[in-house]
Amino acid sequence: MSTVLELDRLCLSFGGLRALSELDLQVAEREVVSVIGPNGAGKTTVFNVITGVYEPSAGDVRFAARPGSAESIAGRPPHAVARLGIARTFQTLRLFMNMSVLENVMAATYGGTRAMPWESVLRLPRARREEREARALAEDVLSFFGQRLAGYRWDQPAYSLSYANRRRLEIARALATRPKLLLLDEPAAGMNPAETHEITELIGRLCDEREVAILVIEHDMHVVSGCSDRVVALDHGVKIAEGTFDAVANHPAVVEAYMGRHPEDLAGAE
Amino acid sequence: MSFFFQELVNGVTTGALYSLVALGFSMVYGVLKLLNFAHGDLYMVGAYIGFFVIQWFGGAQHLTIAVPLLLVIMFVLAAGLVGGLGVAIERFAYRPLRDAPRIAPLITAIGVSFFLESSALLLFGAQYRVYNTADFISLSSGIQIGSVTIDSVQILVLVLGVVLMAGLQLLVNRTRLGRQMRAVAADREAAEMLGINVNFVITATFFLGSALAGVAGIMGGLLFNQVTSTIGFIAGLKAFTAAVVGGIGSIPGAMLGGLVIGVAESFVTGYISSTYSNLIVFGILIVVMLLRPSGLLGRAQLQKV
Amino acid sequence: MSVDPQGPKVGADEWVARQTHRREYLPSWLGNAQRAGERIGWWPRLAIAGLAGLALPLLGLGGFQLQVGIDALVIALLAVGLNIVVGWAGLLDLGYVAFFGFGAYGFALLSSSQLGANGIHLPYWLSLPIVMIGAALLGLAVGLPSRRLLGDYLAIVTLFLGEAFVEFTNNVAPSKLGGPNGITGIDPIQAFGVQLVTNTSYYYLLVIVLVVTMAVLRLLEYSRTGRAWRAVREDPLAAAAMTIPVNRVKLSAFACAAMVAALAGTIFAAQQASVFPTDFDTPILILIYAGLILGGTGSIAGAATGALVVMVIYDGLLRSPAEASVLFYGLGLLTLLAKVRPWRRLGVVLAATVVLGFAAHAIAAAISSSAVATGPQSSGWLGDGLRDWVIVPANPQTAGNVGFVVLVCLAIALVQVKGRWQTILLVPTIYLAAFVWETRLVVEPSITRQLMIGAILIVMMIARPQGLLGQRRVEVAT
Repeated sequence: MSTVLELDRLCLSFGGLRALSELDLQVAEREVVSVIGPNGAGKTTVFNVITGVYEPSAGDVRFAARPGSAESIAGRPPHAVARLGIARTFQTLRLFMNMSVLENVMAATYGGTRAMPWESVLRLPRARREEREARALAEDVLSFFGQRLAGYRWDQPAYSLSYANRRRLEIARALATRPKLLLLDEPAAGMNPAETHEITELIGRLCDEREVAILVIEHDMHVVSGCSDRVVALDHGVKIAEGTFDAVANHPAVVEAYMGRHPEDLAGAE
Repeated sequence: MSFFFQELVNGVTTGALYSLVALGFSMVYGVLKLLNFAHGDLYMVGAYIGFFVIQWFGGAQHLTIAVPLLLVIMFVLAAGLVGGLGVAIERFAYRPLRDAPRIAPLITAIGVSFFLESSALLLFGAQYRVYNTADFISLSSGIQIGSVTIDSVQILVLVLGVVLMAGLQLLVNRTRLGRQMRAVAADREAAEMLGINVNFVITATFFLGSALAGVAGIMGGLLFNQVTSTIGFIAGLKAFTAAVVGGIGSIPGAMLGGLVIGVAESFVTGYISSTYSNLIVFGILIVVMLLRPSGLLGRAQLQKV
Repeated sequence: MSVDPQGPKVGADEWVARQTHRREYLPSWLGNAQRAGERIGWWPRLAIAGLAGLALPLLGLGGFQLQVGIDALVIALLAVGLNIVVGWAGLLDLGYVAFFGFGAYGFALLSSSQLGANGIHLPYWLSLPIVMIGAALLGLAVGLPSRRLLGDYLAIVTLFLGEAFVEFTNNVAPSKLGGPNGITGIDPIQAFGVQLVTNTSYYYLLVIVLVVTMAVLRLLEYSRTGRAWRAVREDPLAAAAMTIPVNRVKLSAFACAAMVAALAGTIFAAQQASVFPTDFDTPILILIYAGLILGGTGSIAGAATGALVVMVIYDGLLRSPAEASVLFYGLGLLTLLAKVRPWRRLGVVLAATVVLGFAAHAIAAAISSSAVATGPQSSGWLGDGLRDWVIVPANPQTAGNVGFVVLVCLAIALVQVKGRWQTILLVPTIYLAAFVWETRLVVEPSITRQLMIGAILIVMMIARPQGLLGQRRVEVAT
């Protein structure tokens, strides 16, 4: 399976603060990679660099929209990166609150359509066709979540949805950009065990049915263990472990990062 | 060459005036993140108050009290009344919108500004009111350095301006209220949770800022003589420019910005022509905003993604 | 929209889910009208409104009313255009009136005797596209600062640019642009062989243009462009992450709004047959905003309706004092009817006000005859009723001024108190309002209407920020 995303010795500094140091990361086609680490480790920062919100200080980000066509995307603006095929959700949930559910998803089809304003006004064939296709895509993507975001919900404003539904809507919106790589930032945050289990299954289904590579940031280890092919652990902007879930979860550096060192070890090191 | 220095003196004097208005503007923006469009109109109200005080005491030509006493009364009254007006505006028009999206208080501020200007027009009429400063303050009693004259009104403006600015710096940096103002400006919610009475701090900030604008209004009347309902609009625009050029939210920035604008305006009027002075001021604003949006002394705002 | 026989369930029932929408309707009979309107559908409503507008002159409108209608339609067109950039894209453009001026001046220069020996007299079907494209380019230029500036800063910069336009047309190249004296002798519009010379013809043209523009914008609203604009307003960062080129979208909003304004400008210039720099100064901008805010930002119908309402009142106040008084008292009564509930409370307030009035008038007359020397400005039955009720002294100005200041204080106090105190305070406030009206406001209609505009902006943003026909927005604090 070919590599979809490659981070090559990626560095990012904010003034004197080194947010990311020499980070190497690969994601292959149809692979689910989880990124874990304590808060402030730089996980969301990695997402921000990949999607073009920040420009790396050093190193490169390479993305292959089609197998074998890897190109550097470092420093490109967010909307260009999105058009290439990288979509994301946000840790703090950034929906278009006052737009309807359907409109939220259809808005994300902007990059895949090309009708000019006058074409839309005059209802020219291309505009009509693109609108039809956009709506069909939106309905298809929303149907991924079963009945929860179906039927009358399409015209509901996004702010009237429950929290779990809003999270699902954000994922649906990201899917509407037809991504090759999906970045999920804490998709299970704030969910109860049943919903968390559902998200874990969802990530698996996304990978299989939609043929998309997924990079997940998560704190909930049930999700991580349930859906990941590989796990990468970060701390203070540095990769400290990589491998299967079991290997990483028991890695001493990872344990130390999450739990701190045993007091006796600390005393010994003085 | 003396022309240059004379224009410089004039520029610094008007600059002091702009700084005072810009200070109030900047302070309010600091605590509320609100661009108070009506701030310039407070300047106008102050100018009118000064005029009516002069009339009350017999008019420019036949003053019934000593000039120093007149000045004290004018300044104190303007500071108090305009400060109070500012507080009322805040309570009535801005407080309900404290957590609304930024567009809402901005539009309300436009409405307040328009309402104030129209009220002034209704109450005071459209004719220009004239201070006739020369009639009661002898302009010849000033300082002469070489061939550069600084007349007494300018000295008054400069001295009072510096005193007020220094006083404000002291207040913000050395007193408890100043500390609270800085806290509220940094993070209002956190300040509230730390026990600071945010409503009181905001009210105090508005009072001080508006009082400064009122005092500046009287200075403007003394310097420029003419008062009408529309002087607030231009004063407001210049104050905004000064505040942004210096770095909005920063008090030394407002002072510096006022100076820059005053001097620039003076030189353009002196060397080129007065028709272009407004356009030049706009130009400075555009240039600064495009090249250094946080202003000369301001700090860039960070946004967490 | 059916209800589950077992009762509505939160989260699973459409009727429950539409609760927020139901709560937004205007109160009482206005809400009923809204609901009926919703059942009809947007396009039929537009058609009905358009037909009603076209039919209006047939009811016999006089010259003044026709002019009011024309002014109102121009402002409505401008408000609908402003809605693109403020209501949809969420960019506060305070220099919008400059595009209006650009369109007017552009048409004035191209279709009059101003430039060259005999002037360029381009026909309308040529000068209109030229002017509109020029305005679009200007809109792109003005929108450039929006890439880097937060909402407040953009507002001020655009305000400055608007002021710069007025200064420009006032001072620069007076021989070409006419300076303060403007440009006169502009050609009338010639279309399809018909030359539009009468006010009635311009009225019809404006109704048609407004309806067509609203239709075009409605089609845009639900197209990919409209969705992109609204997404940019909601969350520019998320929009960019979802393939939307935020800067380009903002610029397109500016350009579209500019084109609509320029269109309005050309018709305005042709109808007035002259343009002056003062036609495009800040007061006009504030009028447009007042209309948009009153009607509801984000809603095409709201923008047009709000602007029409504002302009009808604005110009209506310029009529003879008697008619303006009818407008004042009528509107006042309507507001009381709408806001003071229940009916018993309203009755008590009205009765108390009437009693207070007669009593005060009698006392004042007993104290000094000059205190009630002048009578109210109204005539007929209204004047007769008011004569013994409202106090209008011989020298109304000073008393009126004092009354005005007290009235503003009372109004502020009225908002701060609650319950019984509010009812009690309402009585002297209403009487004082009538007093101030008769002594000062009705005498200075041009100032009064400016006061009204300012009051509209303040009150609307505090009481009902979504306007009459808008939807309440949920804003996420960032």
